[in-house]
Amino acid sequence: MADVATRTAGKAPAVHAPEPILDVSGVTLQYKTKEHLITATYRVGFKVFKSDRFVLLGPSGCGKSTLLKGVAGYLKPVEGQMRLKGQVIREPGPDRVMVFQEFDQLLPWKTVKQNITFALINGGKCANRREADEIAMQYIRKVKLERFEDTFPHMLSGGMKQRVAIARGMAMEPDILLMDEPFAALDALTRRQMQDELLQLWEDTKFTVLFVTHSIEEAVIVGSRILILSPHPGQVKAELNAHEYSHANIGSDGFAALQRRIHAMIFADRVLEDELAVPHG
Amino acid sequence: MASRSIAERSTLYIRPEFENTGLGVAAIGEVERPLSLIERISEIDPVRKFSVLVGIVVIWQLYTVIGNVPELMFPTFSSTAAALIDAFVNEGLLFNIWNSISILLIGYTIGIAIAAVLVVLGVTTRFGADLLTTLTAMLNPLPAIALLPMAMIWFGLNNQAIIFTLLHSIVWPVALNTHTGFQSVSETLRMVGRNYGLRGLPYICKVLIPAALPSILTGLRIGWAFAWRTLIAAELIFGGSVLGASGKNAGGLGWVIFQNQMDLRISYVFAGLFAVILVGLIIENGIFRNVEDRTVKRWGMQR
Repeated sequence: MADVATRTAGKAPAVHAPEPILDVSGVTLQYKTKEHLITATYRVGFKVFKSDRFVLLGPSGCGKSTLLKGVAGYLKPVEGQMRLKGQVIREPGPDRVMVFQEFDQLLPWKTVKQNITFALINGGKCANRREADEIAMQYIRKVKLERFEDTFPHMLSGGMKQRVAIARGMAMEPDILLMDEPFAALDALTRRQMQDELLQLWEDTKFTVLFVTHSIEEAVIVGSRILILSPHPGQVKAELNAHEYSHANIGSDGFAALQRRIHAMIFADRVLEDELAVPHG
Repeated sequence: MASRSIAERSTLYIRPEFENTGLGVAAIGEVERPLSLIERISEIDPVRKFSVLVGIVVIWQLYTVIGNVPELMFPTFSSTAAALIDAFVNEGLLFNIWNSISILLIGYTIGIAIAAVLVVLGVTTRFGADLLTTLTAMLNPLPAIALLPMAMIWFGLNNQAIIFTLLHSIVWPVALNTHTGFQSVSETLRMVGRNYGLRGLPYICKVLIPAALPSILTGLRIGWAFAWRTLIAAELIFGGSVLGASGKNAGGLGWVIFQNQMDLRISYVFAGLFAVILVGLIIENGIFRNVEDRTVKRWGMQR
């Protein structure tokens, strides 16, 4: 433990390093397709602290979604460890709630409110229905869907469905909220609005979130800290601060500079990859 | 680059821009108008379907009356209707219908239980899945009624033989559709269920079954339709031996049809066929349609 503490202190010149919520160290993740065993990430390590908006950013094939699934407990690392508040992650659990990219993550046979109470009751957060109803309504109001509490998901637009999913995740008050490209399937205007809303919600409750995206702009807007992964297999390339940037200063020099810096890092790999690909045919 | 953009510009036809201020409602004329009574009635689904039925009945009656078709070959609609009412009121047709349905319900319940066991095996183990898919692929195309001769030898001329053949027509479609339904539950929904700590039986009941409900309902529906046909056919073959009784109301609907044909009461044969259709329609529309409207259609899982 002491060794870990000094190393962190050496890396980040913080006043004092608090205990991380999530500690991923030397994690190698592999999964099988029908023909191949694929190494998605190789010895990846990072720490997420309380109230971090921690973004995993990288091109496709860098294993960022796989990494998130690992943290969620759907996948066991072949090497290394993932600890949530000191406890090794072994299986999925309601202390790490996942918000998916797909709209079908809502149970279609439950209304907006029932989707949230279902999570609260089965996740062991609430013992009785009345308590669950109350909490559900509180979060439905937070995402401004109080007019739709008794609507079934198929009547909602994509953006509204994602709002319900976010409300469901936040209502569980997990130690860490895991978001897997939650806005990727939305149109550009809705996406921007959802990013703003997410930041407002964060201002409200200062939840801890691990956010996966492949959009540099989204990473800089949403994230307070960005982990950049290089592809095939995913390895840590850099960890940058982005807490100063949001939609408010999207045109500023600092914003643009950070975006360019990240772009250069990711693009460097891309060029190399293309050059390597040529002689292969 | 520069030369291309000039070339592009020369091929473009630059037109003046414009903005519309919007026409007044008065200029458009009809924006919203209530439909006339006839237009509204023709929008009602049952009304349209019923009028098709009325048309068929009229053609039937005209053909048999004007064409002077002998009653023994093809009775008129009016005598068939009279026979149906007579059978219900004086001959206790309802008892025969109940006899058929009670056998069907026993077979249906046992069949669903067997299908459930097969599906649970198929979902949990690889061997179970192989067993289920092989068995259904092999036995699904075999008409249940073809098993009746063997069933008669194994069980004798009794209800058990009929229930055995019914099982065959229920188990495979129900198991096959339920299994397919479970397999097509999206990975995201599965992960959501596990995320909130659901495992084992609660996971199956609270996530897999509702998510697969469209397929499960289809299976139940096909199973019911197959079983109803098989039952009537089996009763026809057994004749009056069903239940070993000799009373008029001892057998099922199939037996009534068979018996009336023996007595050359052809309008009563037609009435029996009508009763078979009626029961089918009532269960199809009264039960299955209703359940669908309240579940999968309401949830937007099926149109």
